[in-house]
Amino acid sequence: MEKSFELSGKIGIIVVKGSVDALTAPHLATFISEQIAAGHTRLVADLAGVDYTSSAGLRVLLGAVKETRALGGDLRLANIQPDVKKVLDLSGFTSILKHYADRDSAIGSYGG
Amino acid sequence: MPNKKIALVIGSGGIKCAAAIGLVKVLQEEYLPIDLIVGCSGGSMYASLIAAAVSAEDMQARTLYLWTNEVMKDYTSNLKATQDGSVRFNERSGLVDDSVMNERLRTTFDGLTFENLAIPLKLVATDLQTGEKVLLDKGPLMDAVRASLAIPIIFPPWEIDGQLLVDGAAVDPLPVDVAIQEGADIIIAMGFMLSNRGRMRSMTAVQQQLNNIYMNNILKSTYAFYNLAHHAEIFPILPDFEEPLGMFDTDKLPDIIARGEAAARAELPHIQRLLAG
Repeated sequence: MEKSFELSGKIGIIVVKGSVDALTAPHLATFISEQIAAGHTRLVADLAGVDYTSSAGLRVLLGAVKETRALGGDLRLANIQPDVKKVLDLSGFTSILKHYADRDSAIGSYGG
Repeated sequence: MPNKKIALVIGSGGIKCAAAIGLVKVLQEEYLPIDLIVGCSGGSMYASLIAAAVSAEDMQARTLYLWTNEVMKDYTSNLKATQDGSVRFNERSGLVDDSVMNERLRTTFDGLTFENLAIPLKLVATDLQTGEKVLLDKGPLMDAVRASLAIPIIFPPWEIDGQLLVDGAAVDPLPVDVAIQEGADIIIAMGFMLSNRGRMRSMTAVQQQLNNIYMNNILKSTYAFYNLAHHAEIFPILPDFEEPLGMFDTDKLPDIIARGEAAARAELPHIQRLLAG
């Protein structure tokens, strides 16, 4: 799994590639927490390159959503691939997380 | 993740559960060791056969033997009789005369008990009168499978140890929690959403559609909770079915098995990577 961070105005973009499972999820959790600790609480996770997420990956996403929302921000998802969408749907995540077809829409959802 | 306990869970889904035959083909080819199997409803039948080390070909043959229209003996006449009041319904009733199904289940699971299986097995049923989940892991498999797949109203409940048991799907359609409770580290969970109907031409069809909506929501909500509340790694295997399947669409069995196999193959690299890591 690869992860990187970039800024689009005041919105932090977390770009993830590869598979998120029990082996890689702890690294992603730490990485996201570091961005939040650095003051980036309005986040978009661009999942275009994520071909798979297991239950461990879901827990990381939910943890990040809780953490950012507690600070007045949010974590929103963009570019969810079909296999990942299926897991997110089954586990009810698409009901509680805001998700968008592409990165620009997710960034735009935060408004000005 | 060496020495991790791997559990296989096969959820409810009627004839779709035969996709488990495709799944087990893949697991056997890859020599993936399974330490525990959990089944519910239609999934109980395949969970049991896998636990008994029955071959994929034999499972297919037993499916064809078991699931024919004859197991619905007297369904239509009993339905009419309950509607015109000539037959009264109670907690022990079902619309089907279950004698054919019981005989076929006896033949299918002849001599098999939980105690003589190759892999430990747990099946889920529902206590019709208390609504509680009941775990079955002792005695003859025939009794446990019969209880676990007793679709309420259609099949009469099955009594075990004084409890009137019906379909486990009413409480736990994909019993991942049982595997977690048993200490599984890695859970391979094959689940099935029930198909929606576009057109409904009778009261029972509307009732069936409502039932499907309830069941699908129970599946989603329990799965979401188990995913988040525990640290076991859950690999969901969800075969795609483009069209709704009837209860006895056994002519589609090769396709159902192929879809199960394809879904399992798609998940396999992720499972293997975790095991190697």
